[in-house]
Amino acid sequence: MSRRSLSPKKLGVVLVLGAWCGLYLFLLATDRTSLYLSSRTEWLVPVGGVILLIAVVGQLFFSDSSGAPKLTTKDSLGLVLVAVPVVVVLALPPASLTSFAANRRSSFASAAFVPSIEDISSGELDLADVAGAIRSDEVMAALRARAGAEVDFTGFVARRPGMPADEFLLTRFLISCCVADALTVQVRVVDAPPGAFKQDQWVRVSGSLYPLENEIVVQAAGVTKVPRPDHPYLNA
Amino acid sequence: MAHIAQPLGSREESWRRILGAGFALAVLATFLNIANPGRVPAIQNFILVFSSLLIEAMPFILLGALVSAFIEVFVPGRVFDRLGALSPRLQLPASALAGFAFPVCECGSVPVARRLAQKGLAPGAAVTFMLAAPILNPVVIISTVIAYRGRDIFWPMVLGRTGLGLVAALAVGWVVSSKTKGELLRPRADADEHQHEKTRPGSFFSHLSGDFIFMARYLVLGATVAAAMQTFVPQDVIASVADTPFLSLIAMMALAFVLSLCSESDAFVAASFVQFGVGSQLAFLVFGPLVDTKLAFLYTGTFTKGFFRTVVLVVGAVTFAGTLWIEVLLG
Repeated sequence: MSRRSLSPKKLGVVLVLGAWCGLYLFLLATDRTSLYLSSRTEWLVPVGGVILLIAVVGQLFFSDSSGAPKLTTKDSLGLVLVAVPVVVVLALPPASLTSFAANRRSSFASAAFVPSIEDISSGELDLADVAGAIRSDEVMAALRARAGAEVDFTGFVARRPGMPADEFLLTRFLISCCVADALTVQVRVVDAPPGAFKQDQWVRVSGSLYPLENEIVVQAAGVTKVPRPDHPYLNA
Repeated sequence: MAHIAQPLGSREESWRRILGAGFALAVLATFLNIANPGRVPAIQNFILVFSSLLIEAMPFILLGALVSAFIEVFVPGRVFDRLGALSPRLQLPASALAGFAFPVCECGSVPVARRLAQKGLAPGAAVTFMLAAPILNPVVIISTVIAYRGRDIFWPMVLGRTGLGLVAALAVGWVVSSKTKGELLRPRADADEHQHEKTRPGSFFSHLSGDFIFMARYLVLGATVAAAMQTFVPQDVIASVADTPFLSLIAMMALAFVLSLCSESDAFVAASFVQFGVGSQLAFLVFGPLVDTKLAFLYTGTFTKGFFRTVVLVVGAVTFAGTLWIEVLLG
């Protein structure tokens, strides 16, 4: 193989490709993919990482940039722009959507996911199943038949102005592809210890479930603080 | 190996720019790490939406660049000469139907369309393919089926989306079909950089990297605006017009533009807009994959001035008329 020169422009391109490749490998290694993507799109991370790795190797060993023109200011700004998201993700601590997003979306976006009636009638109830029932009269009817059933839900605390001190909205987001399409899933928790839980605190609520007209209420028997789950979003 | 000599000063300047770019990124990383602006809820929301849009879309851009580089390097020019010689009446529908076989979202189809037009396919046909692929591909149809299964508007949504998407793609292709590739494609500064490559693999990787970096810049700009809009534009405003005829259709098209969702996931979001009628939900699903914030930047970077305006007007008119008709018929 003939000698391959490393011009400034080629180095810049290789570094940016390598940075994105590194980001995807980092997400894989640290299991942080679920902070950004749903289970149905998480395959993009290894695929993106592998193609970028091949692109970096190919660029280094096959591409000849000896005739490439100089790196202009516009070129370098473009490369910086493409690298900025990598820096943002790597430099900031891991986070997930909070009650701020729930307030922005809650007015008209609720879970489009509709669970099966069989699951509701006999299976263990989870937050996505229960909240999704609000959108289906049939499923809601099946849920009403189980009024008083014991449930165990994990989510974060969201409070609206004027809510009684012993109530909060247990909240999770349901994502289909990525965080940008997140839909709010909420149930109202009553009889919680007043003032014990701050906004956005992750909690585990055990208690009895009561479907009402347009919402679902959980009468809390116990509420405990828990760390944010590794997979904070429910997947459609 | 022949080297094309560059003036020493120019080379030094280039190295200095590389160092400057690295330094700027290091300063940014340090600032973010120390200041942690994510503590502010709105900024954290912005960063999460911005990052997730890009983490999801970059592999599609990469796949698009991969296909584009493959077409450039490995598909013989005579194939496109033959295709280009076909009647435009045949090229447009054939290109639209080719979208069925290209299961990537909207970001991936842009670099492929550009390459197809460069290689000799009628520009109108390349544009038709670009617009048809993200709405007609099997993954998008299946996700629409899953999102609306069990609903009484199932068939209008699935067939309406596919049918109106096809009509919109054909309409834009027909409108721009009189343009030559020189009139439609925006010249790229790095267009000649790959010509000196002596081997096919070298040329392939050079095109792959070039197309990826070129498109990624516009994607980052688009994701920035989309994330800002998702974070700061109050969505209640749009929900308040749900019962208003005409306006609800336009509002849902505007919302699709703002949210910039992937065409493979937008049906799940649309299905949650239960306050809106069938026409409005359909308007969201037809307009969004063809015109959104991140695509605005990708189109502007790829095509000449006026193209984006043409797409907005034609797709908007087809979507509005089609969804209004369906709304009247079924609403």
